[in-house]
Amino acid sequence: MMQRGRVRRMAGHLILMVACGLCLIPLYWMLRSAVSTNGEIFGPSLQFLPPRLEWSNFAQAWRAEPFALFFFNSFASNAAIVACQLVTSALAAYSLVFVQYRFKQVVFFVMLIGMMVPMQATFIPIYNMLSVVHLINTYGALVLPFVGSAFGVFLLRQAFTAIPQEMVRAARVDGANEFYILWKIVLPNAKPALTTLLLLNFVYHYNALFWPLIATNSTSMRVIPVALSYFLSQDAGQGLQWNLMMAADVFSVLPVIVLFLLGQRYFVQGVASVSNKG
Amino acid sequence: MVIARWREKSLGWLMIAPYLVFVAVFVIGPLVYVAVLSTYRWNLLSPRPVRVGFQNYVYLWNSSVFRESVTNSLLLAIGMFVFSLPLGFFFAVLLNMKLRGTVIYRSILFSSYVVPLTASGLVFTLLLNTHDGLVNRVLEQFGRQPIDWLGSSHYALWSVLMVSVWQYVGYYMLIFLAGLQNVPEALMDSCRVDGGSRWRTLWHVTLPSISPNVFFAIVVCLIQSFQTFDQVYVMTDGGPDNATSTLTYYLFSKGFQMADVGPAAAASVVLLVILALLSLLQMAIGRRWVVDEP
Repeated sequence: MMQRGRVRRMAGHLILMVACGLCLIPLYWMLRSAVSTNGEIFGPSLQFLPPRLEWSNFAQAWRAEPFALFFFNSFASNAAIVACQLVTSALAAYSLVFVQYRFKQVVFFVMLIGMMVPMQATFIPIYNMLSVVHLINTYGALVLPFVGSAFGVFLLRQAFTAIPQEMVRAARVDGANEFYILWKIVLPNAKPALTTLLLLNFVYHYNALFWPLIATNSTSMRVIPVALSYFLSQDAGQGLQWNLMMAADVFSVLPVIVLFLLGQRYFVQGVASVSNKG
Repeated sequence: MVIARWREKSLGWLMIAPYLVFVAVFVIGPLVYVAVLSTYRWNLLSPRPVRVGFQNYVYLWNSSVFRESVTNSLLLAIGMFVFSLPLGFFFAVLLNMKLRGTVIYRSILFSSYVVPLTASGLVFTLLLNTHDGLVNRVLEQFGRQPIDWLGSSHYALWSVLMVSVWQYVGYYMLIFLAGLQNVPEALMDSCRVDGGSRWRTLWHVTLPSISPNVFFAIVVCLIQSFQTFDQVYVMTDGGPDNATSTLTYYLFSKGFQMADVGPAAAASVVLLVILALLSLLQMAIGRRWVVDEP
């Protein structure tokens, strides 16, 4: 019986190792190609491990296009998006959990619609609206359509529900106003959920291509995913060599990988809390 | 006291107002607007919108590109359902064995989810290069002919699917794992003691007890499949011969690149109806909400 258990565990390890290996190949290949010469990538004697490392590729790729600007655009617009989402979601969740009023069902229904409609289905009207107010190709266009997050309201509502109502009532009896209660009592008790929201939504919007591709049209407004997507496109192709493209790929992926490694448990919690009934 | 109640009520509305205004302006308004636009002709040839009733829908019905795009989206959804969901469940079961190093396995398997699809699209284009890509080099080692992954209409959709599976399998794994960790050990142990084999236990006890997570994963998987765009845009531009054009890609090329607003708006309505039906299904069965974001 013990023997069988050991065999099973060994098999488990083996399968998981193979799966992890396969999962890492694309990331490894990105890195490996980023430190090779172009001739080597397409040459006949390609090896799995690079014989020598061409670190200068990174500097060359960085200079090939204004990546500092692209990173700034990405970070600035996504920081603004996430900041707005934290504010609107926290206020909405507080209202839903701690304030009594009628028609909450209506509010719930509205939230539901907010969750189900993807940007891909409504980009034409949103583009038209924003172009009427001359916001296309500005930070406004990148940020405004995302200042609210149904996922954010959902996640924070779940976290706030775990906070005892008595705490809030006691503070009200003491004469504290609602915004003070939210700031001093509720938010400090929901830090894990706030961190989860911040990390997940930052990564989600940092990676998003569809809307920035439509909402911006100049190099000066380009964000990282749009810059990457133009590498291979026929009319906008930059003529970068593959090793340099992969070098650019590596530094574009770096911020999200770092965030993921630092905040792993928040990512896991985030997925768990939307998938388990809460 | 009455005044206090009134203040509390109005404060409640005040606090939820920013979010409600957002939904009204950027979700419900555009939803209505797109439905209205779908009954107009409005493109570069007719700069002013002209009312055409249901002609745009008729146009879509007769358009082979649109039909191919819908078919491709369906095929991708089926592919994701067949490959990435069972694989995600299998990995979750293995992680739930609580082996040493589980945290590391979990991180690695989930890590691909945080990589931008545009970046993955670029790497896979290199990996799948016909003559010198790693995949074909490996195939040749086994004496196989190299495959023109992205250039042949037979394999291009498989390539797109490959990226999706790689990207999302870790996400589904976490959804299943979150459920498995809630299944009481005692329940599974008692089944084994009763003489049920491991597979029978898995099928008859484990799977039903995490059914909410299973339904959630299925619907999220289908919805994500219908939104496939990034890797198509990076790797194939919908080609060759529309072999990888998805519903979302069709929307983009028709509505944005060709500025043919009418049919694109009608296609948006089709996408919305599909997603709404999926979400209703989710609510009817799982009694929970679908989250479009992470």
